[in-house]
Amino acid sequence: MSKKSGRMEKICGNCRYHNAYEYPDRVFCFAKFGERENPVVSIFYCCDEWENQLQDCFCLEDAMKKKGKKTK
Amino acid sequence: MKRKDFLNTPVVHIQIKPDMTVNQLIQQFKNSGSFGAGRLATACDVFENMVRDEKCTVFLALAGAMVPAGLRATIADLIRKRLIDALVSTGANMVHDLVEALGGHHYQGHWLIDDYQLYKYHIYRIYDVFVPEEDFVKADEALVKMFDEIATKKEGKTLSTNEIMWEVGRRLKDPKSIVRSAYEAKVPIFLPAMRDSEFAYIHRVHSVRSKEGKALTISAFLEVPEMLRIMEQSERLGVVILGGGVPRNSVQHAALMTGKGLDYVVIITTDRPEPGGLSGSTIEETISWGKTKRKADKTMVISDSLIAFPLMVAAVFERLGKDFHRKGNP
Repeated sequence: MSKKSGRMEKICGNCRYHNAYEYPDRVFCFAKFGERENPVVSIFYCCDEWENQLQDCFCLEDAMKKKGKKTK
Repeated sequence: MKRKDFLNTPVVHIQIKPDMTVNQLIQQFKNSGSFGAGRLATACDVFENMVRDEKCTVFLALAGAMVPAGLRATIADLIRKRLIDALVSTGANMVHDLVEALGGHHYQGHWLIDDYQLYKYHIYRIYDVFVPEEDFVKADEALVKMFDEIATKKEGKTLSTNEIMWEVGRRLKDPKSIVRSAYEAKVPIFLPAMRDSEFAYIHRVHSVRSKEGKALTISAFLEVPEMLRIMEQSERLGVVILGGGVPRNSVQHAALMTGKGLDYVVIITTDRPEPGGLSGSTIEETISWGKTKRKADKTMVISDSLIAFPLMVAAVFERLGKDFHRKGNP
């Protein structure tokens, strides 16, 4: 349940447009790159072009695990 | 022919010795003269003949994932030694060269893998070679920026595929790169199907980033007169074809357009002629079109290029010796 609701958040990890850059937590945002802005962002970021269509991948799960490990 | 004419040359059995060189093994293949071994031995002879012929311009036509699988250094070396005068390739092979030139890697994987798991890990598979998505993305990022820079420099001029490859090569530092080597050796790289590769995406992103009318224009047709000019200035023409596809026919068709026809042809492919596709078509079929001369020095090896091509190159390097120098044509 918590996993599903987490995935509904407006973050890059829930966007079909994200590409891995530093797996799992740094992603490349082509929308920002197209606007000549810094395209390398956190998976927990989202740009204005965000669409709620999942790219089914392990990025978000692995980034959450990594984040959890860091805070421990 | 009389009966005895069919029974001139006996098969000599292949003798393997513990300290034999690649060329010695190929000579044993030649003694057998049979099946793929015999054809590979003939391919070595044809390739040697074409590079020793000072009036021959040598083309390499490259299709299939040769660079991801490990032929990058071999091809770059052939270019630097000027045993290749022009490279005609799929766009993808050059993209994979650039992935490595810009810091990425290809990894040994396995063909028996859950591809959906790879998808979820952002890893791409080319049979048993893996490429991490981030290596592609970082190459995209760098190449889009290069395209931006080249567009500004060229101020609206339409470039051929070779001109864009040399502009990219000029900006690389990796001496093992095919594109960098070609730029330094002034060996043209033609990409007749450039848009059928990551270059299409790179160009699209560059266009989105560019102001109206300022994006780079690349024309696949501009390479036709460039290739024809090379052929017209050449006394003889040779080609080594790996795989087939668009690169193969681009060279063959240019040889037809100049009315010259190819003098030396080596094809290494696993494709077969029966389905009628170009990649598997026999060299004899190309003679019917005038793409290859009737008396050309030629052979077609049915093999995985990743096995046969390095063996052929190694044997010919050995035959040529370290002091062999080829100035390059035309």
